Amino acid sequence: MSNAPAVSVSETATEDARRFQANLELLAEMSQDFAANRDLDAALLNAVQHITDSVDAEGGALFLLDDAQENLTCQACVGATEITGLVIAADKGIVGRCVQNNLGEIVRDVSKDPSFFGGVDEKTGYTTKSILCAPLTVKDERIGAIELINKRGGDGLFNPDDLHFLEALAASAALAILNARQADALFEQERIKRELELAREIQSSLLPHVDDDNALIAGVNQPAREVSGDFFDHFPLEDGRICFCLGDVSGKGMNAALLMAKTASLYRCLGKAILSPGRLLALVNKEICETAARGMFVTMVGGIFDPRTGHVTLANAGHEPPLLLTIDGEFQAFEAEGPPLGILADPPTKEGYPETVIELGGGSLWVFTDGVTEGYIDDAGTELEVDGVKRILLETRTSGLRERLDAVVGAIRPGEQGMRDDVTLLGVIDPGMARPAALAEAAGADGTSEAIMSMRLPARADRLRVIRHAVRAALDYLSCEHEMTEEVILAVDEACQNVVRHAYGGRDDGEIAVELRRDGEDFVVEVQDFAAPVVLDTIKGRDLDDIRPGGLGVHLIREVMDDVQFVTPPAGVGNLLQLRKRLQKKSDAS
Amino acid sequence: MKHETRDEGGSVVVAFEGDVDLQTSPAAREALLAAVSQGKPVVVDLSSVGYIDSSGVASLVEALQGAKKGGQNLALAAVSEGALRVLKLARLDTVFTIHDSVNDAL
Repeated sequence: MSNAPAVSVSETATEDARRFQANLELLAEMSQDFAANRDLDAALLNAVQHITDSVDAEGGALFLLDDAQENLTCQACVGATEITGLVIAADKGIVGRCVQNNLGEIVRDVSKDPSFFGGVDEKTGYTTKSILCAPLTVKDERIGAIELINKRGGDGLFNPDDLHFLEALAASAALAILNARQADALFEQERIKRELELAREIQSSLLPHVDDDNALIAGVNQPAREVSGDFFDHFPLEDGRICFCLGDVSGKGMNAALLMAKTASLYRCLGKAILSPGRLLALVNKEICETAARGMFVTMVGGIFDPRTGHVTLANAGHEPPLLLTIDGEFQAFEAEGPPLGILADPPTKEGYPETVIELGGGSLWVFTDGVTEGYIDDAGTELEVDGVKRILLETRTSGLRERLDAVVGAIRPGEQGMRDDVTLLGVIDPGMARPAALAEAAGADGTSEAIMSMRLPARADRLRVIRHAVRAALDYLSCEHEMTEEVILAVDEACQNVVRHAYGGRDDGEIAVELRRDGEDFVVEVQDFAAPVVLDTIKGRDLDDIRPGGLGVHLIREVMDDVQFVTPPAGVGNLLQLRKRLQKKSDAS
Repeated sequence: MKHETRDEGGSVVVAFEGDVDLQTSPAAREALLAAVSQGKPVVVDLSSVGYIDSSGVASLVEALQGAKKGGQNLALAAVSEGALRVLKLARLDTVFTIHDSVNDAL
């Protein structure tokens, strides 16, 4: 009998040790569970199982508060009743009261507690006798509560020791849940950051990368954030011209970047088939109006540069006016003649956005976003403005294109918050006098060949007379016999007519180049256009039995000349038709 | 290129002068079709045409087809050396009725 208290103390100590051990195990398990698969729900289920077993209860449920702290949701549940997913108001029931008061409680007999919600028992036929409930709290942060039902064995009722034990376990579980949530948030942040970095990489790959220091068109883009709503692009057309664009999507961040990607892709894809910036912008506009999110729009400049003539055909949809810097150091701005893309589905005119043809004349053209003009150049918040851009462009006139772009962008200082806006700039340089002389290259340095005349003129019907006179003069110089002279004039005229009528698809700003030379005993004429290549099958003589207007020209050329063929044009630009005929000199004929 | 249309002996005489090329052939075509539309025989005076190209020849062919449809005669007269060369190259010299002079054609 005297041993009895000693035994009791010893039993209590053993029970305390067991409980301490159980608590440690819970912490370790939950941390491991979560670290292993980052599945919080699975970790919670294991925790509830562990706690229910440790306290020796028939069932257990873990409730978590939602972000608004309005509802409690059962996230995990073990035992006879399955209530996972059950949502109750955060102030209802015994579990709600426990959360609200931030106090654990023991309800020895639920039949005497008015807060008890008997709905579950009614549905399941289970009889809840006693409830043990402890809040999940870390410091003052309420996370939820854990509820145990019915002590196993005996009368099924919990005692105060059970509550203390549950409270200790709940505190550990709460800490583990909070840690897991924070780790989750951190992980999510990392994931978003990695995705943004990837997005930036992909977006950057949409922009052209030119390493050629002699490039005539180049641009630069510096995003203010990970991704940019600005873009520029340039790509060669089959006719030797270069299509380019620069745009600015309203807003910043991911949604702007996505619309940017779409707009840039549309422009590049359509730009290879639609050789008119105005019509191109109208098409892109229609597409954006049909599918883009409301309220988003794009200001954009589209253009086509012809390095052989120094002409730029430009269309401007609500964008900052591009600047022409002439060879004399004068600036000219080209205001937008249409609204930004994505606002009105109907284009400003039937033909699309109005086009302006700019003669660079050895000068340069600069297109930029407001991130450039509104960029800060000092810590006091002074903006670069258009005047600043002009100043830098004038100062760097003798530098290469890449250096000039860098000079403008380099003038803008990122503030403490980083860049204010995306900074994007594109330059077009007209080499002027240094233009590649395609036809000069074509003239053979062959000793037996003699260049007679080379001309380049607008591909218009009223210039055909000029060409005929030139051919007559050349043949006269070569003492060509009269009949052949007249016939060759006709053949060359017909060849040039084909260019005037068909090469430029109705455009009247195309050019034709005609070269006349003697190649040994042959008179050779080369007629070149600078348009998209023709499909050779469409060039054939007409069936003479079918007397219809038109189609006669090619027949006449073949009838007159000894040899007619398309040859590869110098620099692969346009189409070059070569006509050849053995010379008959005046003295030969009799 | 200049052209002149006149009535003579119950026919419509259209006379051209100068070069009929891509630039001027639309006007030549118009004059020819207007002459054909009068419903009378048409004589085209090509004596003063120094040069004619495929587009000019095509206008003549179109006028000839229009005339045939209306049961009218369309003849070429006093065809210059240059114009005849092109008609021959196009092998149309046998398709058209060609007279040495306008008077012969009337």
